Amino acid sequence: MTAHKSDSQIPHKRVRAAKIPPGVYPVFAAKDAARLLRALNDPEIIAQAALVIVSKAEELRIAVLSHVERMAEAARLSNHGEVFAQAHEIRGLAGCAGLVATGRIANTLCKYLDALSRAGAAPEQSVVALHLDAIARAAHAEDEATRLGDTVANELAALVDKKLAEINNSATR
Amino acid sequence: MSGATFDYLTALIVEDNVHMRTLLHSLMTALGLKQVFEATNGEDAFVVMRERKPDLILTDLSMKPVDGIAFTQEVRMSHKSPNPYVPIIMITGHTERHRVEAARDAGVTEFLAKPITAQNLFLRIAEIIERPRPFVRAGDYFGPDRRRRADENYRGPWRRHEDVRSDVEIR
Repeated sequence: MTAHKSDSQIPHKRVRAAKIPPGVYPVFAAKDAARLLRALNDPEIIAQAALVIVSKAEELRIAVLSHVERMAEAARLSNHGEVFAQAHEIRGLAGCAGLVATGRIANTLCKYLDALSRAGAAPEQSVVALHLDAIARAAHAEDEATRLGDTVANELAALVDKKLAEINNSATR
Repeated sequence: MSGATFDYLTALIVEDNVHMRTLLHSLMTALGLKQVFEATNGEDAFVVMRERKPDLILTDLSMKPVDGIAFTQEVRMSHKSPNPYVPIIMITGHTERHRVEAARDAGVTEFLAKPITAQNLFLRIAEIIERPRPFVRAGDYFGPDRRRRADENYRGPWRRHEDVRSDVEIR
């Protein structure tokens, strides 16, 4: 029988790594880098760029609502992969659309579906349904970013943490 | 607007969602970049990259048929890559730890979680200029040093087989 050595007992075969310091490899030309850095720190340019996002908010909100519909359709077909895909699009767009709570709830749903998929477990329909309902309501609400939206997002995040802890506990038993 | 314009500095945006792609394009234009190229997946992006040789890449993670991870690996490792050192900022809603680690191990320079703000995006670009990291070639990895902090007083054992020696060789 061969005795296995622990990692610390095995003599390491050193692989020589090449390290290429900054300055040796090309990034931006020095002149461009200095100008770009000035632009990146220019409050006027930052404000202008922030306005770009604000000006797209309505377009993004309509896109979010379209993804909410597609997510509901995927849920009706029990297509959890597509539910995840649509929730992922929502969490990416919602924040820039001013739909903060919607984005947070979509993120929690993604976290739940991703963890269960990796654990090879099926999601609970009730947990998915709660998130879908909350996302739809939040995305359509005029006052989405209110304390109520925050409360719902917090409660659902706590629910998902509890569900994932249950899965972890059962896996370690 | 202060009117900074960059005639020759170019960026490539790789994003399958048209709304996010347009938004990122507009942000780069607001920054003053005149040449901003677009692709909707990693496969097309590599073609654009070879033709246009961008100075900066902003890429999403989930795309088909080639995602942002595979695209980053191709940029870093392929002999067809015109610039394996190009800064790559991965902008994604995927904040799960395993995905962030996959992005790091593919060789992204910076990681930015959606929802984005102009300030956060600009901070990531500034980080590339102000605190450039060394590139490391070790085993099957080529990309920015994945360790952001180096403790010069560290006297403990090396934790990785491929820990960098001080007398490194450059390819």
